[in-house]
Amino acid sequence: MAVSAPITSLIIITCVCVCVHFPSRWTGQTIIYLHHSHPVLCIIVTFPPQIMLTNTGPVAKLYLSIIDDVIENMRELFSDEGLEDRVLDDLRHLWESKMMQSKAMEDFRKNSINSSNFVLQLPASYSQTDQEVTASVVIPASQSIYSFPRLKNNSDTLATFSLPAGLAYPVQIPAGVTLQTASGQLYKVNVPVVVTQAAAGQQPVSRPTQKVTEWREPAAPRPAAVAPNTTHPQEVEPSSAPAPSVTQPPQPNTNYVPPTEESSLPQQPQDPAADTLLLQGADSPEPEFRLEESEPSPQPEPMNLSMTASPCGQSLDFQTGTEETLTQTAPLKSRDVDDILKQVIEEEREKAERARSLTSAKTDSPSEAVLGLDLDYSYSELSDIVQLDGPAGNSDLEEEEGAPLDENDFLGIINAEAIKALQEGDGSSDGNSISSSSDGEGADELANVEDEDPLNSGDDVIEQDIPDLFDTDNVIVCQYDKIHRSKNRWKFHLKDGVMCYGGRDYVFSKAVGEAEW
Amino acid sequence: MDSSNDDALDIIITNVVATFRTRCHLNLRTIALEGTNVIYKPEVGKVLMKLRKPKITASIWSSGKIICTGATSEDEAKLGARRLARVLQKLGFKVRFSAFKVVNVLAVCSMPFAIRLIDFTKKNRPIASYEPELHPAVTYRIKHLKATIQVFSTGSITVTGPNVQNVATAVEQVYPLLFECQKPRN
Repeated sequence: MAVSAPITSLIIITCVCVCVHFPSRWTGQTIIYLHHSHPVLCIIVTFPPQIMLTNTGPVAKLYLSIIDDVIENMRELFSDEGLEDRVLDDLRHLWESKMMQSKAMEDFRKNSINSSNFVLQLPASYSQTDQEVTASVVIPASQSIYSFPRLKNNSDTLATFSLPAGLAYPVQIPAGVTLQTASGQLYKVNVPVVVTQAAAGQQPVSRPTQKVTEWREPAAPRPAAVAPNTTHPQEVEPSSAPAPSVTQPPQPNTNYVPPTEESSLPQQPQDPAADTLLLQGADSPEPEFRLEESEPSPQPEPMNLSMTASPCGQSLDFQTGTEETLTQTAPLKSRDVDDILKQVIEEEREKAERARSLTSAKTDSPSEAVLGLDLDYSYSELSDIVQLDGPAGNSDLEEEEGAPLDENDFLGIINAEAIKALQEGDGSSDGNSISSSSDGEGADELANVEDEDPLNSGDDVIEQDIPDLFDTDNVIVCQYDKIHRSKNRWKFHLKDGVMCYGGRDYVFSKAVGEAEW
Repeated sequence: MDSSNDDALDIIITNVVATFRTRCHLNLRTIALEGTNVIYKPEVGKVLMKLRKPKITASIWSSGKIICTGATSEDEAKLGARRLARVLQKLGFKVRFSAFKVVNVLAVCSMPFAIRLIDFTKKNRPIASYEPELHPAVTYRIKHLKATIQVFSTGSITVTGPNVQNVATAVEQVYPLLFECQKPRN
């Protein structure tokens, strides 16, 4: 069921699965999808606009190191030019955010990125602490920083830890845990939850969450409840997928202060999976919290938080919803989450809070599961950030990729050809060739050669029927050791390359391949 | 043509080689970069382009000469050559399809009987030459047809000639000679 109440506080929902979406547009807002089956805690996580790349997979690490290198080397140049360091930092953030958004760095350890940003504050005793402990003030991303101090005050008794980069979903979050997002929003888990990573395909519901602050309502196990007891506007979308969930369109949250750079899911397809609860911020000023309840069998849920009522928590089952929805978006979403989480982690670190890493099984689903909850973070920043392509250059292709060029493009080429031909010579003894091409068919200098019927401008000549099957985005840029062909069987021995496949980037030092033409 | 006992014989054309000229200089690098299904061999100075539809492999030289191989009939070879020229035209070269010529046709044929090669060679000196240490087949060249027939002891023969017609004629010509030297079945 959907609760649609414009509430800034976090609503605790007892439900079985929770998927949290982080709208790309609004930082730090997450949408939690809950399933009916178990009581679950609804956590609203907000992400700060900044991306903190704390936990990364191997590819991401490489890219980050590249970014580091470049930025460091540029520092001097920038200062020589008279530009502030801030500019360089901004550039760095922009770069990182775009990279994260494009989710090209996503690899199977993707979730780790997300998780890293997620900070959990556990009550000292792990017992259900009351909300007051969490002092949760859900603050919009922009204000996340401010919330921290407050949190800190209250969190004396709290154990705070951030998810490790390599957090593997599902992650269990025991009851009483307070999750804090990068934006500083706190979410208290009153019921042990299991956060699993939603499949990439899960739709990002975007929603701008908003302030969740209060979500700590005592989790009264409510059957099916999404019921966020609070006034949060919740919309539950029981049904399946197709309908973009209640909220649909990722409307940019006016609250969203931070630049889109990070964590914005490039495209948020806001097709909330049916089973997802969307927390949606109604207006920028007043973020809405929408929870979407996810059916027990969530399908396109990006992240399903399966709540295991087991008291010991720590069992996050990630139900990765069918990846159907936007496989791209899902990773994107997670990316946003990652960014946000990263930021959170960073902030956390700055504050020198205790970090505790949760151990959790890691799932490979791209989406990142927030601790304790299957949070499908879908950022509704889509509209702001559009880019989707991976950072790897699509420039060179190992495989052929050519799209037919326009005829117009060739005019210039043809002239160049003629010039080159003249210069190169290359034994093109046919003086005729050049002159003929330039003269046009006026002069029939080919007296000696029977002039066959012309190609009729291709009228009778059948064009190449084979369509361009290679209009693909999957690209490998690398060096080759050996390429071998026997009849139509090809064998490739490649080295030192970057591959963009399915939107993700993979880096390799050796690759062997076989193909049939 | 005349029966010549070949009504039961299937002459299977396996390869037709044809050449044509584009009457314009071709930039191999451009073709290699922008064409589809191309193999660039800079060391030799040619580009191989493979077509799927008529299964054809074409060697393209920068002078504009193109050799087309792999077709299974003369018409197919011509069609493939034209398609290839069309591809090059699309790439931007001022291609004119000219001087199309089938230069070689390779066909195989299987006799319903085995052949005694030594006997055949003896009967057909000097036209037939047989060097078992070099090659297990007898090479029979028909000068006026410009066709070469390789006769194997199993009864299979391969015929290469300048065009399909010559190949068919060659088979007809050689059949009675082979028939004489067949290995009796036992």
